[in-house]
Amino acid sequence: MTHEAAAASQPFVMDATFWTATTIFLISYVVIISEKVHKTVVAVFAASLMLVLKILSQYEAFHVEELGVDWNVIFLLIGMMTIINLMRPTGFFEYIAIKSAKAGKGDPMRIMTIFAIVTAVLSALLDNVTTVLLLAPVTLLIADALEVDPIPFLIVEALASNIGGTATLIGDPPNIMIASKAKLNFMDFIYNLTPIVIVLMVVLLVIIKIVFGKKLKTREELKQRIMQMNEKEAIKDPLMLKKSLFVLGLVLVGFVFHGTLELQPATVALFGAGLLLLLSNTHEPHHYLAEIEWPTIFFFIGLFILVGGVVKVGLIKLMSLKMLALTQGNLLATSMIVMWFSAIASAIVDNIPYVATMNPLIIDMAKQMWPQETGLALLRHPDLMPIWWSLALGACLGGNGSPIGASANVIVVGMAEKAGKKISFMRFVAYGFPIMLLTVFISMIYVWLRYYVFSF
Amino acid sequence: MKAKDIMEPVKETLTPETTLKEAVNRMRVARRGNGRVGVKGMIVLDNGKLAGIVSIKDILKTIIPSYMNLTELGEFTWDGMLEEMAKKVADRKVEEIMTKDVITVSEDASLMECADHVVKHNLQRIPVLNKEKQVVGIVYIRDIYYAIVQALFDKLDKEERK
Repeated sequence: MTHEAAAASQPFVMDATFWTATTIFLISYVVIISEKVHKTVVAVFAASLMLVLKILSQYEAFHVEELGVDWNVIFLLIGMMTIINLMRPTGFFEYIAIKSAKAGKGDPMRIMTIFAIVTAVLSALLDNVTTVLLLAPVTLLIADALEVDPIPFLIVEALASNIGGTATLIGDPPNIMIASKAKLNFMDFIYNLTPIVIVLMVVLLVIIKIVFGKKLKTREELKQRIMQMNEKEAIKDPLMLKKSLFVLGLVLVGFVFHGTLELQPATVALFGAGLLLLLSNTHEPHHYLAEIEWPTIFFFIGLFILVGGVVKVGLIKLMSLKMLALTQGNLLATSMIVMWFSAIASAIVDNIPYVATMNPLIIDMAKQMWPQETGLALLRHPDLMPIWWSLALGACLGGNGSPIGASANVIVVGMAEKAGKKISFMRFVAYGFPIMLLTVFISMIYVWLRYYVFSF
Repeated sequence: MKAKDIMEPVKETLTPETTLKEAVNRMRVARRGNGRVGVKGMIVLDNGKLAGIVSIKDILKTIIPSYMNLTELGEFTWDGMLEEMAKKVADRKVEEIMTKDVITVSEDASLMECADHVVKHNLQRIPVLNKEKQVVGIVYIRDIYYAIVQALFDKLDKEERK
């Protein structure tokens, strides 16, 4: 059966419902990109329209995996955010940052390198936003102490967080979404993405050494300001810190084995959150739970329902047919197009709505390429895997292309502006865009060599 | 007694365009309460209308870098940092640092209303507005407290106060 025949056997009608859903979807995305209305407000309202207009039933929105809210993503985010909220007051992150600055002996270039590595590792294990939220204030303090411009440090941290976040299932929201849809586990990401991310980080470090190596200088007496800081003073609650590290360790071990244990990542994260809440002896869980980034959570909920609506009416299928027509079913070409298109799209728009749309599109495309396969055999079809990885690499790394490409960038730019150090759009692009092109290019070579030349 | 009975007249004001350095200087030399008390805050008038209020706390807030509000970094600051930061912000305009949502009272406001504002909003001074919304005086926490002193020890008459 040809692709066209397969598609023709499952016809859909471009009726009034189709056009209503498509219009809601397109207008919402335009408004989200325009930033005229807060993205969460747009997503929740558009989702409610899909339900009120009965394009999607409430049952489908809440209980049908292919059409509605992906609760695995929602609760993985909630669980991890709760753990971080409980861990934050212990002072652990300030401790790490001050310790890193001292390890750099107060030398700006060394500090920038160490901070880039720390940011990448933390971003891989936590989420990018949390990492830069915790490290950027310390970075600003250290730049003031050394009397150097903080902007290169902050931009390098944003870039490193987006690259580092690409490495794991929990590192960046696109990965969480892809993993949940494609039923990929934590170790799949470690085997397939972590190696290339390490290469990309080395490349980033070499580039910052070349670009900033000569320029970043400070005076000896200013270095003493850093060396006189006592990182131990950052620890506010040693007992809670031990509990937090124990639980975080347990959660990471849980992620490593969740595939083998047949536990969903959200289960692991929720268990960690529940256990740490219990161990904290808190009588005021309100504070830790209120600090969860609810606007982000509701943005996801709204988007899932919004995208569910256009999946149901067949818009996504239509798009996947167009894509198949374009690539003629050539898998290598599909991978490359997905990667580059994802990178460019993610630099311009939020990568979360982008991936929310691409996930069902890729599954639909897979259904048409391998109509005899279903379930896991389809989602994890060996020929489909490189396309998932291309989507993850493109969507995550693309975030580096502009100051609005990733949440971490938005936070860094906002924090710098508040500190009186405005990072202009073009200044970010001057650093971020070349890094994005280079990292995506290297990733393209990696995907091509690993999956299409050597096939391992 | 009402607000208008205990308020002090406004002698000096700032404008939104005044620099932080100039504001600090004006507050340094100004005196109130028959020239005995130093000034720790001034109202900001824009074309005669109340635009905001600047207190020494607003100036401290301006000097503390924004990143220090985001997390606990107090232990990692250095000797001389406060002075350095003060020099950095010296040219900022008063309109950038002033408290814009000023709590005000009318001339006929009761002292209880004034006391309530002071405690709820952690204030040191409350501008008093007339019906035309012009500032006619300032009620200070110290003067509200003095009304309490008078109520409990009525032998302390107004003569002694002066």
